[in-house]
Amino acid sequence: MDNRPKIAAITTIYHKYAHTQHIVDRFLEGYGWNSRHHYPPMDLVSLYVEQVKDNDISKDRLERFPTMKGYPTIAEALTLGGEELAVDGVLLIGEHGEYPSNDKGQRLYPRYEHFMEMVEVFENSGRSVPVFLDKHLSWNWDWAQEMYDISQSMGFAFMAGSSLPVTWRTPSIDMPLGTSVSEGVCVGYGGVDSYDFHALETLQCMVERREGGESGVKWLQAYRGESFWNAYHEKLWSQELFESALSRSHTLTPSRPGFNNPYPTLDEMKEIVKDPIAYQYEHNDGLKSTMILMNGLVQDFNFAAYIGSNQDILSTQMYLPMPPARTTLANFFSPLVNNIEKMFLSGEATYPVERTLLTTGLVAAGVDSLFDDEAKIDTPHLDVSYQATEDSTFWRT
Amino acid sequence: MKRIAVITTIYRYLSHAQHFADRFLVGYPREGKWHRPDMKVVSLYVDQKPEGEQSEDRAREFGFTVYPTIAEALRCGGDKIAVDAVLSIGEHGDYPQNELSQVLYPRHEFFKECVKVFEEDGRAVPIFNDKHLSYNFEKAKEMVDDGHRLGFGILSGSSLPVTWRLPDVDIPYDHELEGAVMVGVGGSDPMDYHALEAMQCMVERRKGGETGVAAVQLIDGDEVWKAGEDGRWSLELLEAALSRSDTPCGLTDEDGRTQNLIGTGELYKLVDNPAAYFIEYNDGFKATLLMLNGAVRDYCFAAKLKDEPVPVSTQFFLTPTPNVTYSACLIAKIEELYETGVAPYPAERTLLVSGTLESCLKSRHQGHVRLETPHLNVEYRAPKESQHARR
Repeated sequence: MDNRPKIAAITTIYHKYAHTQHIVDRFLEGYGWNSRHHYPPMDLVSLYVEQVKDNDISKDRLERFPTMKGYPTIAEALTLGGEELAVDGVLLIGEHGEYPSNDKGQRLYPRYEHFMEMVEVFENSGRSVPVFLDKHLSWNWDWAQEMYDISQSMGFAFMAGSSLPVTWRTPSIDMPLGTSVSEGVCVGYGGVDSYDFHALETLQCMVERREGGESGVKWLQAYRGESFWNAYHEKLWSQELFESALSRSHTLTPSRPGFNNPYPTLDEMKEIVKDPIAYQYEHNDGLKSTMILMNGLVQDFNFAAYIGSNQDILSTQMYLPMPPARTTLANFFSPLVNNIEKMFLSGEATYPVERTLLTTGLVAAGVDSLFDDEAKIDTPHLDVSYQATEDSTFWRT
Repeated sequence: MKRIAVITTIYRYLSHAQHFADRFLVGYPREGKWHRPDMKVVSLYVDQKPEGEQSEDRAREFGFTVYPTIAEALRCGGDKIAVDAVLSIGEHGDYPQNELSQVLYPRHEFFKECVKVFEEDGRAVPIFNDKHLSYNFEKAKEMVDDGHRLGFGILSGSSLPVTWRLPDVDIPYDHELEGAVMVGVGGSDPMDYHALEAMQCMVERRKGGETGVAAVQLIDGDEVWKAGEDGRWSLELLEAALSRSDTPCGLTDEDGRTQNLIGTGELYKLVDNPAAYFIEYNDGFKATLLMLNGAVRDYCFAAKLKDEPVPVSTQFFLTPTPNVTYSACLIAKIEELYETGVAPYPAERTLLVSGTLESCLKSRHQGHVRLETPHLNVEYRAPKESQHARR
């Protein structure tokens, strides 16, 4: 037992279908993986839950799994009540729970605050351990950059982000490493400062594999409502790629009664999607990417890009088995947890956190552009360059 | 441009006729494009027209004619067959059941009326027959024999063999198999038919090819669990299949938790009336369908490959309603039949599954006895290339 890594989970709230539940439960209860019910070869020994409400299930989990102890502070969860860091890996899950929003509509989840409390324990203990942080690093770009810099200077493995890059794909394909990409589009759904992040990660996990690697982003501009449709008509993004992405959807809202799966006309799309949103941005190497949220039209995340010298279209859906309508389990968390396990065992992130640093900045820039009347925002701070991993890291087995 | 006759029991929203035939009218998603078939529906026969059915609306909008008989639909009101392909969909609608609880859909009758026109007019065209060929093996066999006799292509069956798989795997071609377990849910029949066909599209790839079914037995209740303990079906393969499920019930419904359904014993509490369909093949291979209503809500499969430590397992992905894009995967295969005249995979698969299901239901009806099935000596080879959605 002593050789098994000890893991601490630092979370905002633990209720049914909260990210904490999806992630921590998989460490406690195991999960279906490659023809077995897999139990991670490590022990989740400590839990910090910031908000305990009527819907809390952390009490149930602490009772049923007595090897996991609840602690009233982050520091105690990391030291197991002692003086020094006493765990081998940390999960930071700052998603869901009641937190205020700022005037730009960003939910002020305390990911930075939790991270910094953890770092203080690392510093006091003179050692650090691998960290997974759920979703984007922070709503605040400067804080995200600081978190990244700290992980670099302290030298601990750091992974973050969404399940979208690692979930099933239909079809089960990846961007060929080192291919040229001239334009990428993701068509998804959801709100600003929430699912836009998932759509951006969907895009980024594909285009980062292009020739030359990721070079960072130089500007971003958001479009919403009427200006979205104007941009559509002006072909600011490829209508062909947009149609290709929609042709990967399994959830296209029928535009006509009595038909179950027609392709909507533009007029029908305008009728169905009252508040379309796009973030368009140019990478430093000239690649143009567009993240599109079509609420009402789709409930999945679909990617399309022009690749290679013949401008072939590569498209797929990053499939989320999403409860409660389609499934009971949010099993897209299984490949996420599996990657986290690998990091805790090896001390190496399985994919670069720079991806999530960049998408964190893109979310913030998108929010800023929308807040600033859809102004074009120069993003010299997003000169985040990195290389994708050679091996694909999405769910295939 | 190929001309298609649609022959169906009923045409209403979300009936098979609607979501199959509509794809020829409005296109469908295929390989990352909105694909519009270079084919035209020119005629329709519909057996039942309850209130709210859509056949006349579709005919008006898309410029085809609804005919009162199948022969007239195939001849488009003229003297000679005037279509290049038939889409026969005998699913949904109000039809009686027999003592085996089979719905007596008139698929054989539809098919024979087409064959009569083919023979009278001296020209036969490809037929797609939705789902099993017939509730009755002799009728089903007559249909397949007609195809061989008159030399027209028949494609048949369920969408499950051709839909997306999670993960995208197939049985390595001509690999020796040591066992297979399929998990299905839903009523009997139809949903056990889908599950059996999903299992068959995997196991037919085993070494030596399909040899036909020697015997079947359908048991239910606690006997199913006892048979597992006795090793009549593999717990390891059930665990492998369940590892692919996104829909465990019970405690997962309650608080979202993942569950080791076998390890915790929850499985045995959740399933109200389990059923096991034991299929013994002529080459000695054995496969089992477990219908586990109450435990999960999806269709998962696992098989043990000789000399491979980890079983192959996958979920047959039934994409959400109303798009049911899994049927788009099948339409792509139907188009291939219509274009080439040759079925991309043999109707013998569906023939064997039709007869296997009928015999399983007879086993249940006769007190769950083991039934030898010499008539199910249906031999065929699956195509080497995988046929499920992959691009």
